[in-house]
Amino acid sequence: MSEMWINMGPQHPMTHGLWNLRVRIDGEVVLDVDPEMGYLHRGIEKISEDRHYNEVVTLMDRTCYVAGLAWEHLYILASEQALHITPPERAQYIRMTCEEFQRIGSHIMWYAAFVNDIGLMTPFLYGMRDRDLVLDLFQSFTGARMTYEYMRVGGVRNDLPPTFTDQARKVLDWLTDRFREYDQLCLGSSIFHKRCDHLGVLKANDCIAHGVTGPMLRSAGVKRDLRKDRPYARYDAVDFDVAVADGADVTARYLVRMEEMRQSIRILRQTVDWLEHHPGPVMAEHLPRWLGAPYAPVGREGYLLKRNYAKGVGFSAVEEPHGEAQAYVVNEGTEHPYRVKFRSPIFANLSAARQYLVGYRVADIPPIMGSVDPCIGEVDR
Amino acid sequence: MATEITATEKPNQNPILWVARPMATAARQFAKSLFRPSTIVYPYERLEDPEFREKVAVASGKPIGLGQVWDNYRGVHALNIATCISCNLCQFSCPDLCIEMVTVPGGDPKHPKKCPEIDYGKCSYCGFCSDACPEGCLTMTTRYELSVTKRSDMVYSPQRLNEVFKTKLPMNPIRLARPANEDSILLDVPLCIGCNACARDCPTQCITMLDIPKPEAKAGEKIPKRIWKEPVVNDSDCVRCGTCISVCPKECLFWGTRK
Repeated sequence: MSEMWINMGPQHPMTHGLWNLRVRIDGEVVLDVDPEMGYLHRGIEKISEDRHYNEVVTLMDRTCYVAGLAWEHLYILASEQALHITPPERAQYIRMTCEEFQRIGSHIMWYAAFVNDIGLMTPFLYGMRDRDLVLDLFQSFTGARMTYEYMRVGGVRNDLPPTFTDQARKVLDWLTDRFREYDQLCLGSSIFHKRCDHLGVLKANDCIAHGVTGPMLRSAGVKRDLRKDRPYARYDAVDFDVAVADGADVTARYLVRMEEMRQSIRILRQTVDWLEHHPGPVMAEHLPRWLGAPYAPVGREGYLLKRNYAKGVGFSAVEEPHGEAQAYVVNEGTEHPYRVKFRSPIFANLSAARQYLVGYRVADIPPIMGSVDPCIGEVDR
Repeated sequence: MATEITATEKPNQNPILWVARPMATAARQFAKSLFRPSTIVYPYERLEDPEFREKVAVASGKPIGLGQVWDNYRGVHALNIATCISCNLCQFSCPDLCIEMVTVPGGDPKHPKKCPEIDYGKCSYCGFCSDACPEGCLTMTTRYELSVTKRSDMVYSPQRLNEVFKTKLPMNPIRLARPANEDSILLDVPLCIGCNACARDCPTQCITMLDIPKPEAKAGEKIPKRIWKEPVVNDSDCVRCGTCISVCPKECLFWGTRK
């Protein structure tokens, strides 16, 4: 039979965003793939150079729209290092709480989209229903459901409401039960196993060679988690395990993500307890004066005159729900960052598509790509 | 030590049970949903309706009430024109440049009153403008329905924002404290010509022009031509809008720490 190239995307239910997977097939067998990204490029790194440090946070929510707070945390860590600011401990715990809830929200979103890809409609509805609770919780202290704009250089915008700890514990209890249901729906189902076992295998060596990180790397048996290996915020003070599986296939990625959500709940129970008993300021006291704690207090003109601030360079790496995200911020002594650079984990994960797609059937592509959890806003930035 | 992950739900040997297990789980949820669906029947049940919040949350079986949640929602702005002081801080703090200061009736003809006009086609609802507002007259409400038929309808004039304010929607209760170590307006004394521009345009009238003594003419020296006054800023009334800096013709005002 003759070979042919087909385009899966940019308008295809499998793509979960705006990107194109070109596939060379011989009948049903995939011979070669060519991922094309860039449809959603907005120039976020360049726009950041024309904004105040705090105003860049608005872009971070749009970078990865299912894990906005994790990306805010990433950028804020780098810019605080560049500006020589130490946030108070309570702000660090609030950020950790945000990031772990965001991990749960992002993984549930992945679960809903992924099971929809393999033809299970009921778990999709369950996932979307339960993610709503995480969004409700975020809304109670940030004021928005997706674009939070909550973190600031030197801390966070506002303290948590007094009802937060009770509500968070109720949500965690609820989610613990729901995760059991998720497993009953997927792992107890023969449809799931027939579509997912031994698919999209990417061994540990290939993962490391292609820079693949996150749940994909851990599903190959590599115990690599930045929260353990390079602790930021106060991750050294909480107790949790790194979720690792052996199969390196789609089922293993499912297992890793489900276990990560359980570990997130474990972390959250500790941070919520800490937050309940340690009130305090959520904003650093000795900020550069022009940064003006919660907002940039003055206009664009007038600040470059007669001022010279300490220069610096900041780098941060955060275990984002999809993998290892990194940020690099250069502070040249003005109120705008001179350069902002991000490393997107999904860009590397998608670029290795040839390694885990070739040799499988066309019908296997949606579950395999679904298990990668692509978020194109972050890939193209 | 890495966590040993084992499949909690082992597939049964009997293939019929493989399908029966998930179906039983779904059937439990189906029985629950006969009494009350998990969703909200949107146009008839509205989350921002204070009477409905607890009812919806409890009835749909959710573990948390949505009651406290909505007051700090960042929706359409509300502007109280009466208390706006035309300080431009909302415009300056907007990252998307969607705020334009337009003239509203009420000011004196020489210095017209200007209030923000917001283009919701550009707005990202970040809330920086309402955080920056020193008078608390620009706040964000729980209104989120914005669909229009014309693009020009997305631009809300100050009067239209004032109408939102008059509807008494729940507004964002969180007011951020001003930072303790803010910059002050400082004066580069030798450059000042005493022209009164800063005091004239200050939105809070916190700048007063004080007389300074005219120096005696010494032999061989020329006395500079100027008005012998200089501005004094009252820091407690100042909102740090920077209007004085931008209107100063000699660039003699700047930000700094008052000694």
